[in-house]
Amino acid sequence: MNTDKTRVVVVPCSGIGKPFGTVSREAAYDLCDELRPESTRLVALAKLVLGDPEARDLLAQYPAVTIDGCKQMCASKMVTQSGGTVAQEVSVLDVFRRHKDLKPEGIAELNEAGLKLARVLAEEVAERLDSGEQPEKGANHV
Amino acid sequence: MTEYLETTMDKFTFRVAKDRFYTAQGAWAFWMKPEAPNRIRIGLTDYLQQRSGDVAFATVQPVGTQLKEGESIAEIETIKTMLELPSPVSGTVVEVNPALEMTPEVINQDPYGDGWLAVVETTDWDVERMTLLEPDAYFSAMQTEAHGELKKQ
Amino acid sequence: MSELFERKVGIVACSGEELAEGTVARLAALKVLNELRPRETVTICLPLFLAGGAGDRAFARVHPTITVDGCALRCAARGTEMYSSKPAASIVVNELVAECGLDRPEGRRRLNAAGKKVVDVTAERLAAMVDQVLGKVTGTVLAADEPDAAPVGEEREVACSCGSGMAVTKLVIDGQTVEWVALPLIFRHFRERGLGQDEAAALELFETVKIYNAVPPESEESYRKTIMLEYADFCQKENQL
Repeated sequence: MNTDKTRVVVVPCSGIGKPFGTVSREAAYDLCDELRPESTRLVALAKLVLGDPEARDLLAQYPAVTIDGCKQMCASKMVTQSGGTVAQEVSVLDVFRRHKDLKPEGIAELNEAGLKLARVLAEEVAERLDSGEQPEKGANHV
Repeated sequence: MTEYLETTMDKFTFRVAKDRFYTAQGAWAFWMKPEAPNRIRIGLTDYLQQRSGDVAFATVQPVGTQLKEGESIAEIETIKTMLELPSPVSGTVVEVNPALEMTPEVINQDPYGDGWLAVVETTDWDVERMTLLEPDAYFSAMQTEAHGELKKQ
Repeated sequence: MSELFERKVGIVACSGEELAEGTVARLAALKVLNELRPRETVTICLPLFLAGGAGDRAFARVHPTITVDGCALRCAARGTEMYSSKPAASIVVNELVAECGLDRPEGRRRLNAAGKKVVDVTAERLAAMVDQVLGKVTGTVLAADEPDAAPVGEEREVACSCGSGMAVTKLVIDGQTVEWVALPLIFRHFRERGLGQDEAAALELFETVKIYNAVPPESEESYRKTIMLEYADFCQKENQL
C-alpha cells in the first residue's frame, strides 16, 4: 500500500541578497516542517537546476509550490525550465503588499515581523492546498 | 531606440538614458515633443531604483494636482526605504501610470520605459529645463555618488 | 575616461534548505559579507545566478569567486563553473567539519550550538581564502597545446549573456601561454592619463596589472618585460588610428 501522502514539492528561492529571500526560506520551513509535513516535500532549487536525479524525480511526480523573494521569480522560472509544473507561484512581495505592517528586516536572522510574514505566507499556501485544487500539468496559477 | 550611458560597479550596471533631463535627486524628465510640446513625462532613474530596492508601493499625486518644481510628486515605498520624489518641473499632473497600482515593480523592471510615474503639463519648460542636468552631468554625479556608497560598505 | 574596476571576491553560497550544512554555508557567507570582509566581497545570489542573472554572471567572469557548499553535491561550485568560470577556491562544509574534528551541525532551520560553531569556523576559513585570493590570485597558466587555445596575442572576449565582456589576452612567456585579464582596459587607462613608458610608469603599470592577474615572484622580470612590450605595441596601434 502506498503510504506516501505527498501532494506537492516546495521550492523556495532562498535568495541571499535580501530579507525577502530569507522569508521565502522560512515560509518553506513553516509549511513543510510544521503546517503540512505529510503532504509537502522541500526541495533545494540549486539541486534541482543542476540535475540531481532525486530532485528531478520528485518534480516529475508532483506539482510544485514556488516561493520567490523578488520579482525575478527565479524559483518559478527554474522549476518550469526543469520540466516541472508550478501549481502555486508565490511572490513574497505580493504577500507583503497585503500585510504592510509585517516589514521583514535582516537576512541572516529575520526580525519578528519577517517571521510573521513567512508564517502568513505559509498559511495561505496551506489553505490553498487544503482546498484540494489539482492543477493540470503545465498549469501555472497563484 | 533609447541610447544609454552605462557604468558597472561590482555586479551592478547603472544606465542613464541620453534622451532626457535629470535632477540630482534621481528623477528624470522626458520632454514629450513634438506630439505634446507642453508635456513632460517623469520617472525614477535606474540608479535610484537599484539603490532603493524592490518597489512595494508607489503613490503618485493624482491627476489635477498642481505642483511647483521641487514639491513631492510621488512616494515610493521599497523593501528598504521610503522615497519622496521631488518633481523636476512645475505644472499640473495630467496622467498617472495605471500600472503602478497593481504592479509597481515595473519601476524596477523598466525605469526609463514602462515604469514611468506621471505626465505633467508645464507652462515654463523652456526656463525650467535650464536648471536640470543633462545626461552627461547626471551620469558623472551618479558615478560619484555610487562610488561613495560602495566605499561606505 | 576608461575606468578600472576595483577587485573584489564574489561569494556564492549554496543555501541548501534540506540540510543543516546548507544553512551553515548561508550563514557563514553572510558573516563574511557583512562582518569579516565587507569591503572585499560581493554576494552572488545563487538562484539568480542559475536563472540567468546577467550582472552576477558578468561579475563572476572577471572577479574571482569562492563557493561555499554544504555537502558533496557542490551545487554552488558546479553552478559557478557551469555559468561563468571555475571558482578561485571552494569550501564544502561537511568536509571542513571532518577536517577540523568538529561536531556535526544539526537543525536545518535553527542551528544547534555545534552548528553555530561550524558557522564561525567556516566564516574564518572563508575570510582567509578571500585574503589569499586577493593577495595572490590563482592564475590560469595554460599549456601551449591547450585545446581551443586562441592564437597567442589574440584577445578573446569573455562573452556573457548580457552582451558585455572583459577582454582576456593570451601571451607566451617563458614558453608558457598565460591568460591576462583586462589588459586593453588597463593599457587604455594609462594611455589616457598620458603616461609614457619610462621606468616609473612601467612600474606603476605592472603593479596595476598585478592587481588583476597572478604573477609568480620568480617570473616577475620576464612577465614585466612582456607586458611592457605589449603596452608599447598597444600605444603604437592607438597612435596609428
